[in-house]
Amino acid sequence: MTTGAWICLVAPLAGAVLITLLGGTISRRTAGWLSTLSVFVGFGGAVTAFIGLLDREPEEREAVTSAWTWLAAGGFEVDLSLLVDPLAVTMMLIVTGVGGLIVLYSIGYMDGDDEERRYFAYMSLFVFSMLLLVQAANFLILLAGWGLVGLASYLLIGFWHERPEAVAAAKKAFIMNAFGDATMALAFFVLIWQVGSLDFGVVFAEADGLSTTLVNLVALGLLGGAVAKSAQIPIHTWLPDAMEGPTPVSALIHAATMVTAGVYLIVRAHPIFELAPDISDLAAGLGTITLLVAGLIALVQVDIKRVIAYSTMSQIGYMFLGAGLGAYGNGMFHLMTHAFFKALLFLAAGLIIHHLAGEQDMRKMGGLRRVMPRTFVAFLIGALALAGMPPLSGFFSKDAILASAFASGGYGQLLFVGGMVGALLTGLYTFRMVFIVFLGEPSPLVREHTDAHGHGEGPWTMTVPVAILAVLAVVGGWVQIAGIWHPFEDWLDPVAVGREHLALVEPTVTEDYVASVIAVGLGLLGIGVAWMIYGARRWPVPRWTAVQTLLERKFWFDELYDAVFYRPTVFIAFLLRRYVEEPLIGGSIEGVTRGAREAGGAVGDVQTGYLRWYALVIAGAVAVLVAVFVAVQ
Amino acid sequence: VQGPDVSWYLVVAAFLFSIGASGVLLRRSPLIVLLSLEIMLNAANLALISFARLHGNHDGQVFALAVMAVAASEVVVGLGLIVAIARRRLDLDVDRLRVLRG
Repeated sequence: MTTGAWICLVAPLAGAVLITLLGGTISRRTAGWLSTLSVFVGFGGAVTAFIGLLDREPEEREAVTSAWTWLAAGGFEVDLSLLVDPLAVTMMLIVTGVGGLIVLYSIGYMDGDDEERRYFAYMSLFVFSMLLLVQAANFLILLAGWGLVGLASYLLIGFWHERPEAVAAAKKAFIMNAFGDATMALAFFVLIWQVGSLDFGVVFAEADGLSTTLVNLVALGLLGGAVAKSAQIPIHTWLPDAMEGPTPVSALIHAATMVTAGVYLIVRAHPIFELAPDISDLAAGLGTITLLVAGLIALVQVDIKRVIAYSTMSQIGYMFLGAGLGAYGNGMFHLMTHAFFKALLFLAAGLIIHHLAGEQDMRKMGGLRRVMPRTFVAFLIGALALAGMPPLSGFFSKDAILASAFASGGYGQLLFVGGMVGALLTGLYTFRMVFIVFLGEPSPLVREHTDAHGHGEGPWTMTVPVAILAVLAVVGGWVQIAGIWHPFEDWLDPVAVGREHLALVEPTVTEDYVASVIAVGLGLLGIGVAWMIYGARRWPVPRWTAVQTLLERKFWFDELYDAVFYRPTVFIAFLLRRYVEEPLIGGSIEGVTRGAREAGGAVGDVQTGYLRWYALVIAGAVAVLVAVFVAVQ
Repeated sequence: VQGPDVSWYLVVAAFLFSIGASGVLLRRSPLIVLLSLEIMLNAANLALISFARLHGNHDGQVFALAVMAVAASEVVVGLGLIVAIARRRLDLDVDRLRVLRG
């Protein structure tokens, strides 16, 4: 079982190293297959670990395995150790399973790119980093994985490094994530100082003994990391820009896996968050605000990938809402189904972008249903799942979160209302996209590309992963149906520390069904409005200039950060250069060099070049020495 | 056999050394400078041999022999340089060979 976990971790790393070392000696296609194989071997390892855990009694489903002591300083030691428990295995299966499909898809999508080998090496590196993050048995290894996924994300967003926007987006993502990494590191310092260990077991056992202030600080630091990595308000502006990367990267990193790491962190560290209820509430509140704001912005975006990116932010907002209110299992459940249907949406969008030779502007699309009927079906499944329509996966997971919010009292019910408005928005923006892209007559651009390379929807390496994900997006939610069965929740329950069940709130079956009915009704309403405006075109497209500007400028977050952080920093830097660097530091350095040069000139004058002068100096010196010797004796 | 006192030898040596040193410092022809150097070396030899005689052992004489060997090789190098300078039709004047000034 632990062997499976190690294989799962090491296989993608081996793939990345191998592709890098072999370099030009293997073909680009071989590199792609090598990367795919390495991730699927990892999936095999994860399945082995999964079966191994299933064989055990629920209470015993936890194993820690250490390779070696990674670092030791005084009494403080950190091992390179993995934790295999239901939560970690769930993430391992999602990361390697969905990841493997997306890497396979990349073989078709990236075909013909100049630097394909580099791409596949990065993809394997990313999968390894993500696995390190979810398998870590202590916070330091988790932070190492956390940083490495940030690095892989940076490398892959900026993969097309000749495009300035891609490079800028990569830097933006990296810098904003570094902020979260820093707050997490600060939280870990508090833990090292107070608890003396970063092992999950020790920390969770001793968290009770910490003072409220310290627990709040630790939880706040962890939340900072989670918010940055999961692109929640206020550190969310990097995610839409990250769409500059190749589409499979968006699917894998910025939809299915890395951005959900924040939710994983909250669920993993739930004993700490339970001791800091205010911070948990803050997490749920931020999630709700994000799901509303992102849903609103998605209404006006014209880039197909950006619409899906904002919907990702919005869905992760739901997960934060669930996890913040203590519905950890439901948050993880939505994380899983979201990985399926969002990867499906991105990959289907990738098929369209591939067909249209890189065009992402929805205004130039239209009528694609006739040209790409199977892509339409796949995209529609993803969209319905995203909008939470039964019996697709999103229905079960999103409604579970909403029901938990409803069941958790006053504050939760306020957030419940927000989540419901979000459900309406989700139906609206999702189907606005579907109707614009697929319905109507084929646009000139679509006709041009269809005439150029026929009706094909893509090579099999691209269509097969989409088909598999479409099936998963349909059936993925059936592992938990309110009132009938809940194996997913039971599976995660052993992760609860000191309690029987993981979840803090347990909605009744009635609450579950009421929430479902309202959410589906609102979702349908959203779809209906989208149909009237963009499908049947009976209603005109609303034109409220002020609102539209507000949404198109994304609530001026970028401009705000520019004014609050960027400009003052640059101004201070300018002052420092003008009044400190140039006169003080530069001046003193120049003084030293000038002094040295002048001293050298003075000494140089002694070297006259006259032989007799040298001889005289030697003779004089000898005479002085003799005089000294004589005098001393 | 009794000779003059050792101090006389030393006086002669000092006298010779001073002549040589003045030649090195004052003359401008490299040939004369070399000759003066030889005089200085021989003054040193004389002093060494006088002390050897005074102390009754042979160390000083061995040193004097070594100095003669060094003097011979030094003259070879020095004369070689002077010939090389002369063949390039440069002035044989040590004051004009001052390219190495600081």
